[in-house]
Amino acid sequence: MKLNGDHVLKAPRNVVWDMLMNPDQLVKITPGISELNKRDETNYEAVSEVKIGPVKGKFKGDLELKDLVKPESFTLVVTQQSKIGNVKADVVIHLDEVGNGDTQITFDGNAQMSGLLARTGARVVSGVANSLTKQFFEAFDKEIELMNT
Amino acid sequence: MSFIGKSVKRIEDKRFLTGKGKYTDDIKLVGMTHAHIVRSPYAHAKVLSIDTAAAKAHDGVVAVFVGSDIEGIVGVPTGWQVNFKNGDTMKEPAHPLLVRDNVRHVGDAVAVVIAETKEIARDAADLVEVDYDVMDAVTDPKKATAPGAPQVHPDAPNNICFDWELGNPVEEVDAALASAHHVTTLEFINQRMIPNAMEPRSAIGHYDDALDKYTLYTSTQNPHLIRLLLCAFVLGIPEHKVRIVSHDVGGGFGSKIFHYTEEALMVWVSKQINRPVKWTSDRSEAFMTDAHGRDHVTTANMGFDKDGKIVALKSDTFANMGAYLATFAPAVPTYLHGTLLQGLYTTPLINVNVVAAFTHTNSVDAYRGAGRPEATYLLERLIDLGALEMDMDPAELRKKNFIPAFDGIEQPGYQTQVALQYDSGDYQPVLDKALEMVGYEDFRAEQKKSLENGKLLGIGFSTYVEACGIAPSAVVGALGARAGLFESAQVRVQPTGKVSVYTGSHSHGQGHETTFVQVVADKLGIPMEDVDLIHGDSDAVAFGMGTYGSRSLAVGGSAIVKSIEKVLEKGAKIAAHKLEASVDDLDYAEGKWTVKGTDRSIAFGDVSLTAYVPHDYPADLEPGLDFSSFYDPANFTYPFGCHIAIVEIDKETGKVKLKRFIAVDDVGNVINPMIVDGQIHGGLAQGIGQALLEGAIYDEGGQLINGSYMDYTMPRADDLPSFEIDRTVTPCPHNPLGVKGAGEAGCIGSTPAVVNAVIDALWKAGHKVKDIQMPMTSERVWNAMNN
Repeated sequence: MKLNGDHVLKAPRNVVWDMLMNPDQLVKITPGISELNKRDETNYEAVSEVKIGPVKGKFKGDLELKDLVKPESFTLVVTQQSKIGNVKADVVIHLDEVGNGDTQITFDGNAQMSGLLARTGARVVSGVANSLTKQFFEAFDKEIELMNT
Repeated sequence: MSFIGKSVKRIEDKRFLTGKGKYTDDIKLVGMTHAHIVRSPYAHAKVLSIDTAAAKAHDGVVAVFVGSDIEGIVGVPTGWQVNFKNGDTMKEPAHPLLVRDNVRHVGDAVAVVIAETKEIARDAADLVEVDYDVMDAVTDPKKATAPGAPQVHPDAPNNICFDWELGNPVEEVDAALASAHHVTTLEFINQRMIPNAMEPRSAIGHYDDALDKYTLYTSTQNPHLIRLLLCAFVLGIPEHKVRIVSHDVGGGFGSKIFHYTEEALMVWVSKQINRPVKWTSDRSEAFMTDAHGRDHVTTANMGFDKDGKIVALKSDTFANMGAYLATFAPAVPTYLHGTLLQGLYTTPLINVNVVAAFTHTNSVDAYRGAGRPEATYLLERLIDLGALEMDMDPAELRKKNFIPAFDGIEQPGYQTQVALQYDSGDYQPVLDKALEMVGYEDFRAEQKKSLENGKLLGIGFSTYVEACGIAPSAVVGALGARAGLFESAQVRVQPTGKVSVYTGSHSHGQGHETTFVQVVADKLGIPMEDVDLIHGDSDAVAFGMGTYGSRSLAVGGSAIVKSIEKVLEKGAKIAAHKLEASVDDLDYAEGKWTVKGTDRSIAFGDVSLTAYVPHDYPADLEPGLDFSSFYDPANFTYPFGCHIAIVEIDKETGKVKLKRFIAVDDVGNVINPMIVDGQIHGGLAQGIGQALLEGAIYDEGGQLINGSYMDYTMPRADDLPSFEIDRTVTPCPHNPLGVKGAGEAGCIGSTPAVVNAVIDALWKAGHKVKDIQMPMTSERVWNAMNN
């Protein structure tokens, strides 16, 4: 499944970068995520619970940050296991300055699913991904707003 | 009393409609445990480790087993052998009950959890931790044979199971094609289908240590063959120590012919834990593991002379076997497909090549029609497309090529170029009748007119012949079947003249309890209420080869008739003794023997009572009135027919509406017209489903991505028009009932008719499209019109 999109955040690129690198911030803004434990600078262990169409699963696995070019881009590699199937995703994230001190975040990648998740969730999963992305950026906007006030 | 040919209402429907059917999952045994199978989420992976400790420690768990616990058991075998064209034996990798090294398709069984309840088994299965090393997978049968493709089994190089050829030498066929006036070439995929029986598979293993006997209750079309395979080839248990019980079965469409790993696993587990154990598939497992159907990738060429006579046919097919060979798998693309490529036509040169390939997908095997729908699709798409390309009428083109009528008695059977000899056939009348029903000339005029009004109408034909009544043992033995495909029947007349009939056929929806009883009551001249049919219990029925390949009445019914003849022969001797007459002077009718030309008679029930109370009895006769027979058919039977579809395509959306569907089938003599109509209707729905709606989709990684009813589109009533059906009757010349079989006809003929209708509509509107991949969704049809 293709994962791509973009969103403009009302914060400078350095600030956005730092927020994305901060596990405490990420737990706050990422829907469904309950734990994010830092193993080292680029490796995290994540626990989340997500409902995808008819199936709900508790996911556990790794998040890895690769190819870090501060503050412009990085690659996020997600490997998550659950009883309803596993997910592996590779997403390249770009941060671009777009004027007014704003930052455009662009992401582009692929996700592969297996098991029940693939069998029953495939049709709705891109809708779920879109909705989760929307929630993520709304929460991100809110965090920035709180920071600015 | 005459019952043959009457639309008697189905006897079994009372219990089905009142919820009193007895399915395997309805059975509850004392002390019964429940199994849940841990299945692979990956199509291809090495199993690095399996941790069952947490599952074993869960409350209510009885046992957990993995592949290494099952020592010395290789797995379930296949029942057919097909050789490479160079004479080499096909590759037959083991299909273990639980995998030992690699998983080879999504749903491959890795471990089994046994618990006190189904829910506990399921919960504990979630605690089994399997560590996989995921590898690349291949799902397409053609791509699987390409160099460098991921390998499914180390002992099947290039994933080739066999490379098989049939018919005339390829050089001769190539030469005829090269000099043909016109050659129609088509590359197409006959997509993978999921059978979707209403009742999911279920199996209960019960080892009784007091008797040292095993009972397997299972949802199968084929109880005795399951016993044979289970005992002799899988578990090595003496056959007399095993009983297979299969009461009511809620549909199969082929998918319940095969001996599945779960059946052997439940029997094995029951012995280990010394308790009964039940496994019932959930719908998701059914999508993943019930053997699928079709999945051919084909290139075919049909050559015509300038008058439209077919001069040669060549086909090259890659047939997907899935990861493991199911029981009939090798036979489907070969003996049930290659041998049917003569069709109804006098084609003098035919060459068929089939490469069967292993892929990282679920097993593919017989699915309603099994090979014959694929053969019909190939032929009927080619001839319809040939007509379009040569600007000839598709009905006229067929008539030019039909084999002339032969009844198999006065005229000999028709010897095809592809091994089979057709028993009897009269092909033009089915086409003529269908043309009359559809109002062909009026339709063509309407089609032309509607195009002017911006509407796309199309008509598609399919004229088919199939091989049923599976199967003459000598023929299939020579072809590679590892068992003869005869049938047994016992007619046990009770002292009071009531009759119990034991058949090796197995009804999973066909209405045997009505049709077979009609035959018995008719032949014996007694009320239908006086006859009961018993099937599906290997301790009750002598032997059986099950129900598939439209064989039950042609083969099982013939065995019953043989036993009835024996009953009447012995009954006549008893009657002659009682009436003090000669056997030759007796007539049997209306349930009594009468001395010819007199009113002296004795009723069937009086004769049967005498047989069991033989005080006044022929000296040389044994008591009792109970006969068994085995019937091995002399040949296959060859039903045929003509199906016509009329479609309308929405120009804006590409949506195909099936407006009319005409089916004229010739299934030989008909015992119960209503049941035959029902079989035809159901078959049509499935065949049309393949054309327009259904199809399993594996992604490149081998994930089945439409494995639920949210995404796998089953045909519904509102997708279908009211069918217009009729029959001609060309009796089978070699079985006592003259019947040919009707279970698969609807599914075999209908699919290409629908596709041909869509192609016709597009050509008439100027879109010269050769093929649209099935299922013909709006998107695909729209793209065909707009790209």
